[in-house]
This record gives sequence, structure tokens and C-alpha cells, in this order.
Amino acid sequence: MSDRLTAIAAGSRLPNTAWIRASSVYIAFAGLVLLDLIVTPGFRNPAVIRSLLFESAPLILIALGQSLAIGTRGIDLSVGSVMALSSAVIGITIGMGQGTSIALGIGAGLSCGIVNGLLIAVLRIDPLISSLSLLVAARGLAQALLGGARVDLPFNGPISWLGGATVSVVPVTAVIALVAAFLFAFVVKRTTLGHYAIFAGASRTAAFLAGQPVRATLAFVYGLSGLLAGVAGLFATARLGAADPNYIGVQFELDAIAAAVIGGTPLSGGRISTVGTIFGVLLLEVLDASFIMNNISSTYAQMLKAAFIVGALYMQRAGA
Amino acid sequence: MLLETRSLGKDFGAVAALRDVTFSLSPGEVHGLMGENGAGKSTLIKLLTGFHQPTAGEILLDGKPISFDSPRAAQAAGIAAVYQEINLIPERSVADNIFLGREPRKFSAFTDKARMLRESAAILARYGLSIDPRQPLRSLGLGLQQMVSIARVVSLGARVVIMDEPTSALAGAEVDVLYGVVEQLRREGHGIVYVSHRLSECYRLCDRLTVLRDGRVVESAATGDLSRARLVTAMLGREGAAPADAREAVARAITREALPALSVKGLSWRTRVRDVSFSLQQGEILGLAGLLGAGRTETMKAIYGAEVAEKGEVKVGDRRLRRPRPSESIRRGLAFLSEDRRSEGIFPRLSVRSNLTASVLPRISRFGIVSRRSQNALVAVYVRELGIKTAGPDGLISELSGGNQQKVLIARALCTDPNVVMLDDPTRGIDVGAKAEVHRTIRALAMNGLGVVLTSSEVEEVMELSDRLIVLNEGAVAGELATAGREPDDVLAILAAAEAPAV
Repeated sequence: MSDRLTAIAAGSRLPNTAWIRASSVYIAFAGLVLLDLIVTPGFRNPAVIRSLLFESAPLILIALGQSLAIGTRGIDLSVGSVMALSSAVIGITIGMGQGTSIALGIGAGLSCGIVNGLLIAVLRIDPLISSLSLLVAARGLAQALLGGARVDLPFNGPISWLGGATVSVVPVTAVIALVAAFLFAFVVKRTTLGHYAIFAGASRTAAFLAGQPVRATLAFVYGLSGLLAGVAGLFATARLGAADPNYIGVQFELDAIAAAVIGGTPLSGGRISTVGTIFGVLLLEVLDASFIMNNISSTYAQMLKAAFIVGALYMQRAGA
Repeated sequence: MLLETRSLGKDFGAVAALRDVTFSLSPGEVHGLMGENGAGKSTLIKLLTGFHQPTAGEILLDGKPISFDSPRAAQAAGIAAVYQEINLIPERSVADNIFLGREPRKFSAFTDKARMLRESAAILARYGLSIDPRQPLRSLGLGLQQMVSIARVVSLGARVVIMDEPTSALAGAEVDVLYGVVEQLRREGHGIVYVSHRLSECYRLCDRLTVLRDGRVVESAATGDLSRARLVTAMLGREGAAPADAREAVARAITREALPALSVKGLSWRTRVRDVSFSLQQGEILGLAGLLGAGRTETMKAIYGAEVAEKGEVKVGDRRLRRPRPSESIRRGLAFLSEDRRSEGIFPRLSVRSNLTASVLPRISRFGIVSRRSQNALVAVYVRELGIKTAGPDGLISELSGGNQQKVLIARALCTDPNVVMLDDPTRGIDVGAKAEVHRTIRALAMNGLGVVLTSSEVEEVMELSDRLIVLNEGAVAGELATAGREPDDVLAILAAAEAPAV
């Protein structure tokens, strides 16, 4: 009898740890929020939440693109620079009317994504290399377009509205990002394109032999990532109220990668977690906010953040 | 008795993987351990080598009860396993690999290279292996690499050597080298546990055979006292291997129509496929035979468009494949099953449903949205038709046994609705029961009028299944024969007569 009980206990232990691994990002997020509610003064203030969501919106967009690229066992390092390029294009075309300017900014992002996708799919350059060169090139182009200077944008019109409008405490940009995430999850889970992306990540040779359009899929994936980065650039520009090629999107690619991986999209590909990615972003943003609100100097904050990321990844090691 | 287990048992949660296993091994004995996939062989090996700890019973070494908390502890006690996958470092030299982790020291800080080379050379020579210990491991064939890992465990002091399907990756000549090594181990008084799916091999090498089924020992006898029929029956748990339908092929009418199902003309790819031509009728099973490296896989891949042939023409029915690539071939009704299930077949970590329907997504989707219902319906059809054992469409492919994974991949090929299927060694590494089912499936396909091109690593198998055989030698067609009433020796005769093709 006691043997049987041990056996049952042993049997149930496995799913439990698997559960902890699979939900590490949610546990970490909940734990951090709880901690902040207790120790961080003013954390309950709606203004804090609003500001946090404003910061999160662009990062959610690029983290979605990133998780798709990582899901195909690739990576997109260019997203931060592409945001800057989108911002710079908005800056120089603002005189053509804000609608046109927005469209051109997003279009610049999409173009970068398409270039990246073609480099990877047609010339078969490793995504790490192609997106790294784009990281350098897009930032350089952004700075060249604006002569390295910051261009302030008008205080009225749709861009300014995006930078400040909220529904209760939730910024419009965050709402758009969440709608985008919903569509993204649908594409990943239910469409042929999403399936092909995951197949390409799980085993590229098997996907090719199964007759799947592997290269077209990769081109699409990086194109979409560029498009999302273009929109993210718009959001960040709107929030800042200025086009600034030296500030927008700097090192955002790293946060996007961290968010995707913490959220349960393994670097080895073949799996994408949309909800996990969103919580990965929120986790990183809350972490940043906690450091700032507790007056932890940014030098230490960086190290603490790194330690936290390592901890979160440790919890889900092999949990894929 | 060198090694002994008494009433050994192992539970994983509520599942009993091994029950009441009593097993023994004397010095100088080669003891074959057999059973279908999932019979408990791996679990037994993992208990003996300290990966797992038993939940019941005991393990005795030299008559003394022992327990290992790690593979390292088992190795220290003298029990080591050699697996199909080589767990060594390909970039380092053979000597480095043999001494990995216990390099002899000089002045307590430097590696004594000279001594390592000397001792490695001695060990290799003792087992009749002509390998230079200085050359990097990766420069050796897979077979010799495996011999190096055997040399390694023996030089670590292993007295019990467990070989887990040592020959599954080996070519003909390499198998003989392995046999030589096993004989030498036997002479030196090592005990060997030999795990293999190949019956002929076990009969040749083993002194005793023990068969596991469902985690229990169902048969254990001296090799001479155990007939093949009894052995297979013990493994399958029923009167298996029914060769009754073996020659039903005779009853099957191969329609000799003017239009072949598949015709290949002058196909060439690099030096691996040279001017290969043949045609295949509806309802015919055509075997591609030849030694390892004769170009069987390459021929299939060049036909399928996985490799782009430099010359030649492939026609499926009356349609010529103009832009050779897998998607085009599938559209024209040509399907292909790779011999390399693990890296070219399955999508690990994905569900049975995703794996099975991977080639037909456009057909079962509307406006780019995949119909979950159609997917599940396809899974249900093939689970029934091919007898796939799975927890359900959501089950992970990696949780299936090798044979069932293979059936899922065959189903993937079949749901593209092909006229011709090319199966590259479809029974590789799957157990006897699944093998028989795959054979049945292949015959059924031909009965339904499909053209089948088939290879196998075992000549007997391909002879038994096919109506006609094309023998390849160094990428070129060396000869052709109808298989009825022929023996594998006839294939050898063709190969012996074949001249090396002009480069």
C-alpha cells in the first residue's frame, strides 16, 4: 500500500515541476508585482501603470516579431535599429502630413524586414549575420537622414494623440499592441503560415522534404518582424514626441529576445508562446520600473536585471 | 557469475517498466538481450549502468549486491555501455578520446601525450583495429568510431560491456570488425550484453538469448536451444512473422500499361548517381539494392528533387517534373520517406497531428486557416489503417516508439494522395512487430495500384517485398532481376560482375 502511495507521489511530482517550468514567466511576474506592491512606494499609482504600459507597447510588438523569428530557429537583431529608422523617416517626412509620415515610417520598417527576409531566404545568409548588418546599417541610415539630430514633432495630430491617449489607464498604443498580439497568436496557431514557421524551426530538412515552402516562410517571418518594428518605432516616437535616431530603440533587440525566451519560446525553435512573450515584456518593464522607483542606480540595475533574467531562464530550463 | 539481477523491478510513477527480471552474465559470455521497442531493454540497461535506481530487486556484481547512484559509479565498478550514438569528441584525436577525463599526468600538471599514444596504440592493436591514435576521431567512419568507444570503456576497466544496437549504423565490413572485437572481448573474459534487432547477428554472436516483453523476461535459453520461430514468437507474444502473405504478390496483377507510373531517364547527380534509368508500373514494387554507399538514397533524393540532378528526366505518369523540388514532386503525385527518421522525418516536440498532416496543409485549409477538424479526421483515418499506437492527435511524436513514428511518417506521405511512393529503408531501427506491419502496408499500397520504390539495409527484406530489383553499384545501374525464386546471392553475383563505372 505504502509502495503504491509513493509511486503515485512520484508520478505526480513530474507534472508539477513541468508546470512550474512552463509557467515560470507568470510566477516571476506575479512575484515581482507582489513584491513591488509591498516595498515600492507609489507603485499602485495609476500613472505608474499607465507609463509602464506606454513603454511596453512598442516592446510587445517587436518581441512578437522576435518570438516568430526565434520560433523558426532564427533571430532578428535589427528590430531596435529599424525602430530608429522608422522614427527618422517620420521625422523627415512630417511636413508631408502626419498620415503620410506614419505610413512612410511603417513602410520603412517593412522594407527593412523584406530586405532582411530576402537576404536570409534567397541568399541564404544566416539570420544572425544579416540582421546584425541591418542593425548597424539601419541605425546609420536613421542618423544620416536626420543629420544625427533630434526632430521635435507637433503637439497635435494623430502622432501626438498616439503618444498620450488612453482608455482609462490603458494607453491606445498598448491596446493596439494587444490586438496585434491576438492576431499574431491566431496566425501562429491556426494558419498554414504559422504552422510552416514552426515546422521550419522544428526541423528545416524535414520541412523541406515534406514539400513546405521553407524559404518563402522565412521571408515572410522577417518581413513581418520588420513591419512590427516599424509600428513600434512609430509608437516610441509618438511617446517621445520627437524623432531621435540616437535614442529610439537602442538595445531594444536584447529586451525583445529576453522577453521571448523568458516567455517560453526556446532558442532551439519549433515553439512560440505569444502570451508568454507578452508577460516576458511586462516582466522586464516592471523590473525596470522597480529599479527606477527604488532609486537603484542604473549601473547596478543592469546587473540585477541580468541576474533576474538568468533566474527566470533557469526556472524554465529544459522546460521546452 | 559476473553480473546478476534478481527480481529486478522499476516503476515510473504508476507504470511498471520492468518487473521481476532475473538475468545473469558469466565472464566470457555474450548474452543477447532482445525484445520489441518498449519491452524494457533500455530500462534494464539504465538500471545496470546507474542511470536509474531499481524500485525492487537487486543487482549483484561478483555475487555481491551493489547499487549505483550514477553512471560514473557503475563505470568505476566495471559496468559500461556503448550506445549507437557516439558520445565522444569528433575534433579530438583517437588517443585523446580514449583517455578523455583521465589523461595520464606528467609532473602532475601536464598531459603525458607520449604515454597516451603508446597505451592507445596498444589497446587498439589488441582488438585488431588498424587505427592511428593520432588521427582525429571524425576522420574515422562511424563503425570505427564505435570501436574507439568500446576501446575506451574497456581501458576504463569495464568488465561488463553493454552494447546497445551496435550494428544499426554499420556497413558490411565494419560489422566484421565489430565481430572481431566482440570475440576478443570474450577471450579476455569480459561479459557482454548485446542488444540488437537483427536476429541473424544475435544467432551468430551470442551464447545465450534473453527476451523481454512488457517488462518481463519471457524467454531465456542457450542460443542453440532456441529456434527462430520460438524467438520471434516470444518477442511478439503471438504467432508472429506470418509469412503467409509473403507471396500474395503473385496474385497481384501488375498492369503492364503503356504508361509507367514513374520513369527515370539518364539521371545524374554529382558522382553519386550516374546515368540511372528505369521505369515503374502501377502496382509494382521495385527494390533498389546495392551496398551501402551505392547511391540508393541519393537516387531517390535526386528523383524526388531533394537534390537537384544535373542531367536526366523524371516523369510521373505523363507529367515531366520540370522544376525538381519536393513540393513539385508531391503535387505531381510522388511521395518520399527518408531513411533518416530523426533528422529528416519527424518534427520533434510537435504533435502527432502536426507531424502527420505536414505535407497537406494547403489542402485542408481555407483562406490560409488550417481546419483542425480535417487534421483530426486524417489522423483518425491513418491511426486506424496503419494501426498507429498513440495517445491521440495531441500526443507528442517523440513519445511514440520508433515503429509508430515511422507509421506517422508513412501516413504523412500517403495523405498527399500519391501515385508513386519512394520508401528509403522504411523498417530501419524499428522492432519486429512494427516491421511486419510496415511490410503489410507496403503490399497493400501496391495492391491498390500505387507504384512503390523501396530500399532496405537488409537484402533479404527488399528481395522478399519487391517484384523486381535494380542493383546499383557506385551510383550506376549494375543489373536488374525479377525477384521471384531468387536468392540474395544472385544480387551479389550481379555486383561481382559489375565493373567500376567510368568516372
